[in-house]
Amino acid sequence: MVETAGNYGKHRRVPYLVEEDGKLKTVYVPAMSGESLAHAYQEHLVREALSAGLPVCDDCQRGEFYKSMDEVHFAPKLFNREEVFESVLANLSEVVDITISVLSSEIEKERNKKKQNEDKIKELEKFRGFMENLVKSEKPRDYILKNLSLASQVFGNYVIKKGILDLPPVKIEDIIVKSCVVEDVGGFLYTGSAPIRRSSAFQVSYALPVKSVALFATSEPQLHARHAQMDASSKKGNASEQMIYYVETGTALYGFTFNLDLDAIGVSAITSKPILDENEIKKRREASLKALFRMLSSSQFGAKLSRFFPVGGITELIVAVTDHPFVVTSPIYDDYIEKTQRRLKVLKSFGEESFLVVAGEEKVPEEALKEAIDYLHEKEAF
Amino acid sequence: MVKTEYEGIVKMLRFFVQTKNFSYVDRIGNALNPEPVEVALLEALRAFRSIRESASIEGDGRRYVEKDGNKIPMPGIPSDEEVKIFLDDVRSDMGVAKLVATLALAYPSKKENSGGDE
Repeated sequence: MVETAGNYGKHRRVPYLVEEDGKLKTVYVPAMSGESLAHAYQEHLVREALSAGLPVCDDCQRGEFYKSMDEVHFAPKLFNREEVFESVLANLSEVVDITISVLSSEIEKERNKKKQNEDKIKELEKFRGFMENLVKSEKPRDYILKNLSLASQVFGNYVIKKGILDLPPVKIEDIIVKSCVVEDVGGFLYTGSAPIRRSSAFQVSYALPVKSVALFATSEPQLHARHAQMDASSKKGNASEQMIYYVETGTALYGFTFNLDLDAIGVSAITSKPILDENEIKKRREASLKALFRMLSSSQFGAKLSRFFPVGGITELIVAVTDHPFVVTSPIYDDYIEKTQRRLKVLKSFGEESFLVVAGEEKVPEEALKEAIDYLHEKEAF
Repeated sequence: MVKTEYEGIVKMLRFFVQTKNFSYVDRIGNALNPEPVEVALLEALRAFRSIRESASIEGDGRRYVEKDGNKIPMPGIPSDEEVKIFLDDVRSDMGVAKLVATLALAYPSKKENSGGDE
């Protein structure tokens, strides 16, 4: 669902070109955004990764995919893993000393300002107090984990931002990828002083009605009522007693494309060299495929599922596994299966190996996905 | 004041701009053919009616909504005649849609406290 206006909740709609009597015309059809599908996939990836004993950062575990968007969101990754903490913060007392002197000069600056900001001074003093206690504590990492939010603020806004720690982009990417499967597979954009971008290893299209049904797709507003309990003294007919609202629902046969680049998982986007050992990369590849399997099998994607759970299911599915980049023909066309088969034949003539499985009347989607996973297993992808 | 035949539509779109909802004005201004304009205007009118009917009414009978601590006055609903003329004109000349969207984004030449007639 996209955007609400007053008591009206609108369904996402997109313009769509269709041919009618030899003429092109624009119609508006209900759609599901790629962002919504990607969010659902990453939620499943969290669960699959955790059940395989793979690391997922706290934000992603909550389904809040901020990713390591800035220094404050990146900072917890310095503390979560013992080995990262030990390697990056080996010289903790020196880091603390420099940070305290930076904070002290900031406090001085704030105090000398004509218009003093008491809240800002208090916050800076709190940060300085935290750093003073940190260096005195016997187990600094435990102390940080106990005060994670405060530690993230100080380390993010001062230690990392002011360059007190030596963290080149390659090192930052290394820490993030090792700390979180979702950021490894789904990419991130770190907006620190040296921005780092890691493209997502998966791509997902909008879910759009297929061409043959586009003109029959509907978007209907459904009336709902919210009732509120009234006490005896309230007047009858009070507006708060009952609120009516409309929610749009769409009906169509949708198609969407999902690409997954297994070669990109666990590999640096900066150096193109593996960040993780082969065993971990294989585990992550398996988790990312299982997440797709689970997402399609459970129908847990789209909005408002608790009261608008789609009635229907997957009618067709096609999976192609290739060594080199390849995208199946868009399912909005009726002949997408034949077209994909023909395109793969051409690739075969170049000596490129590929695997294709189709689920339709004879095979259920789960069987087709399982076959693809088994094929990859045979090829020792994981 | 806007001196076009589409004054009501411009004022309605300007209200959305003031509430930082640029969706309708962008869709109308950037449309390449009449259909997106029709759909955007239909959705804008639907949303506008909904917001207007639940808006607060001041002592002088003017309606307003509060956003970020500012009181934004609500203009009236464009007349059916105006909407019809606008859509007919858009079908023959797409430049009309761009003009209306541009006017909605511009600062009004005279301070419109009421935001339009009531």
